[in-house]
Parts: sequence; structure tokens; C-alpha cells
Amino acid sequence: MVDVDHVSVTYSSDTPALRDVSLRIDDGEFAFVVGENGAGKSTLIKLLIREVTADEGTEHKPSIHVNGYDLMTLKQKDVPLLRRTIGFVFQDFKLINSMNVFDNVAFVLRSIDAPAKYIRKRVPQVIGLMGLGSKINQYPNELSGGEQQRVAIARALVNNPQLIIADEPTGNLDPRAKIETMKLLKEINDKGTTVMIVTHEHDLVKRFGGRLINIKEGRIAFDGMI
Amino acid sequence: MRLSSIGYLIKQGAGNIWHNRIMSIASFCIMTVSLLLIGFTVIFSANVNMVISSVEDKNEVIIYIKDGTLEQDIDVLGEKLSQTPNVSAVTFYSKEQAFEDIKKDMTDAEEIFGYLGDESPLPDAYRIRITDIDNMSSTLMTIGTYENIEKVKAPYDFVNVLTGLNTVITIVCFVILAALIVVSFVIISNATRASVDIRKREISIMKFVGATNSFIKIPFFIEGLIMGLVAGVVAYFLTWLGYDSLVNILSSETTLFAAMGTSGFIPFNTFALYVLGGYVLTGAVISSVGTVLSTRKYVKV
Repeated sequence: MVDVDHVSVTYSSDTPALRDVSLRIDDGEFAFVVGENGAGKSTLIKLLIREVTADEGTEHKPSIHVNGYDLMTLKQKDVPLLRRTIGFVFQDFKLINSMNVFDNVAFVLRSIDAPAKYIRKRVPQVIGLMGLGSKINQYPNELSGGEQQRVAIARALVNNPQLIIADEPTGNLDPRAKIETMKLLKEINDKGTTVMIVTHEHDLVKRFGGRLINIKEGRIAFDGMI
Repeated sequence: MRLSSIGYLIKQGAGNIWHNRIMSIASFCIMTVSLLLIGFTVIFSANVNMVISSVEDKNEVIIYIKDGTLEQDIDVLGEKLSQTPNVSAVTFYSKEQAFEDIKKDMTDAEEIFGYLGDESPLPDAYRIRITDIDNMSSTLMTIGTYENIEKVKAPYDFVNVLTGLNTVITIVCFVILAALIVVSFVIISNATRASVDIRKREISIMKFVGATNSFIKIPFFIEGLIMGLVAGVVAYFLTWLGYDSLVNILSSETTLFAAMGTSGFIPFNTFALYVLGGYVLTGAVISSVGTVLSTRKYVKV
């Protein structure tokens, strides 16, 4: 669950990236966050993963809760624990080219000190769910854009996160791969995982529907179901 | 941390050396050269100190005894000198012996001293050696309070030169060593920064998926540790080879060593273990800490 209340973020340039934003995304929701470049979408993501911190409030005391963590009081050493509850999908996939599909996905579990036996069992299972079982030993540059994004989704999913944040997940994909990727994210949501998709692509939003949060100049301009 | 994770991290660290082999070779060469410079500075300093010590050992202070002092009082003085701290090798030098020695040294002694017959005009004396010449003055002040002493003749100029030389060499070697360690550290940090830079994408992904800082840094630490250890061992063998070759070339120069008051260089085997330990430890510390410091910037995601 994401619960943001009266939060502003100002970078060193003194330009506020987010202004008094309040937002609640309940468990199991499927939400799109849209907005123009510079509207504050990326800052919202950075805020939720504690890459940036909120300004001290003047009128209202800001609060941010993500998956049970209070981000206003979270210690730096506990940030990895918060991030383990979130799965990320990036526009540029962020796969490691020197690792094959198995290792790219297993990398997450190794990074959080998971048992080797569990890694050997869980990784092929998730890769299989993404329809990439036959490509488990291939390297990212041997895969299509859509396949690479599916590896990235497998990586986001492998640790059973409570929330998946997808930042422009279809930005580098062809029309068919866009639909496939969105379908996958919807299937994941149908199984109970909260999914938050940041996108420019209004067509996809209309096609898949769900909750729409429109950010404009750092403020929430629209928040409702479509 | 699980055993399997430790194994994975060690494998990653060792694998990084191979994946970034060009940078690894560069770091390794820099590390080895730095260690050799540090090692040879220390060994040079040790040899110079040995020469100075052997020259120091040859210092001699002569305590002239008052004429007419009774034999038993001369013995008492000798006893007191032997018991004086910082004094070694107390030898009685009789006036007859001194006279004989002078006559031997001078070709025209018969002409000059002939009228004296066998009677020595010189005083009895004790010859002593000072263990620590830095404290010569205070030792001689103590001796000066003893009875029946006519005069004390000490090689003050010689001692001052040696003490000054020792201090200068110690300071110069210390400054060179400190500078070499700092330079090695900076070069290693920069060299590894380049290899860390290649992996910044990997590091940022690890941060996003919830890896702790220590989990990210351990492979880099292991990589630096392995590089430092290998550079230390290689530098040890090169030092051994270089030092022994130098000793072989210069060992024929017996007059040179005689002039320096020493029989030769310190044999390598007497300090081989210290060199190996020093190299391996310095290499491992500089390289691993330098590598880990280079990752700091990238870990802050």
C-alpha cells in the first residue's frame, strides 16, 4: 500500500518537483500515473523508493507510508528492506548484458542473500511464467525488446514484491510487445500484486483502464477511475 | 550472511578481475611498482642504519686517570665504569702500554723519548664504549663525577655527525614512505574507480532491488584484496631477485664496505619474512580500501 500525505519535494534549484501531494494506492490496485515531462512523475517514484526525501511541512506534517514502512522516519540502513518489497520495471530494461537470463533474474535474490536452493527453484519458475523458459541461458543482446522487458518483469516479480512500479515500461517496445507487456502486468495485478505504471501512452491507459492519476506541475490534477 | 552468498561474492570478486582484465593489469602493475618503491626505501634505510650502527659501535671514550692514583682505586674506578649504564667494553690501558704504542707508531720515537728511558710520561687510562651514542653526554656527565679522573676524551664531533646523519636519514625515509603510500593509494583509487565506473549500472540495479551497501562492496573488496595480495607476492620475489643481484654485484667491493665500517649488506634471508609480510599487508590494505572507497559514490543511489 502507498499512502502519501501533504508531501512536497524541492530540489536544490528551489523549484518544487512535487507540491503538497496526497495520494493513496491500496493493495491490489492497478494505477496509471500520467503527466508531461517534468510534471513530477519520476520524483514521485524516487520518493516512494526513498531516493529523495520530502520537504519539512509548514502547515501540515507530511507523511509517506509504503508497504508498511514509514519513509519519514526510515533509517538509511533500512532502505534496502523497503526496496525489497517493491519490484521495478524500467523503460530501458536495465538488464546486465554480461549475465544470462537466469543470472539477471537470480541476481535479485542473490543480492538479498536468499538461499541457493530457493534461487535454483524460484528463478526458472518465474522465467517460465513470462514464457521465456527456452531462453533461460541466453544473453540480453540475443533477445528482442519485448523479451528483454519480460526478463525485467521476471526480475521485478521474483522476490514476490507487494508493489510493482513500472516506469515507462512500454517506451522502447513495438506495438505488439507493448500490448504483451501490459497484459503481463495486468495478469500480475490480477493475482493480487499492486501495480503502478508511469506512462506517456494514453492509448494504453484507455485500452487497459483502471485508476488514472494525472500529475501536472507537481500537483495531482486528476485522480479517478477510467 | 549465508555460506552460499559468501561463496558467490568471492566468485564475483575474482570474476571481476578477469572481466576487467585491462584495468586489473594496470592496477596490478601500479600496485607492484608502488610496493617495490616502498620496499626498496625501507631496505635502503635499514642498510644505512646498519652502517651507522656499526660505525657507532666503534666509538671510543678515553678516561685518563690522575697520576699517583693507587692501584686499588684504579680497580674501584674500573668497577664503577663497568656498572655505569650505557657503558660497554671497559678496558684498562696502562701508561706503559700507551707509551709502547706511541713508540711503535712513531719512527723517531727513540730521538724524542730516549731521554726518558722506559719511564712512561703518559697517564693510565680506561677505554670504554658507549652503547647508545645519543645519550653520550649524560653518560659522560655521570662518569665525570667519579673520583681519580684526570680528563675524559670523547669523540663529540664524530658522535654529532652520526646522530645528525641518522636523524636526517630517518626523516627523509619516513617522508618518502609516507608520500609513496599516499601516491599509491590515490593511483589505486583512481585506477579502480575506472573499473568501478564500468559497473555503475550493475551497482545501481543492485541498489534498486534492495542489496545492502556491504553486499555491493564485498566483491570489490575481494577484488582489491586479491590484487593486493598477488602484487605483494610478486613484489616480494622481484625484491628478492633485485636485492640479491645488487648484493652479488657489490660484494666484491670489499674496500667500499671497509670504508663504511661494515662487512656488507644485510643478507636478504634475515628480513625476507618481514618483506613478504609487509608487502602482502600493505598491498592488501591499500588495494582493498582504495577499491572500496572508489565504490562509495556509486553506492549512494
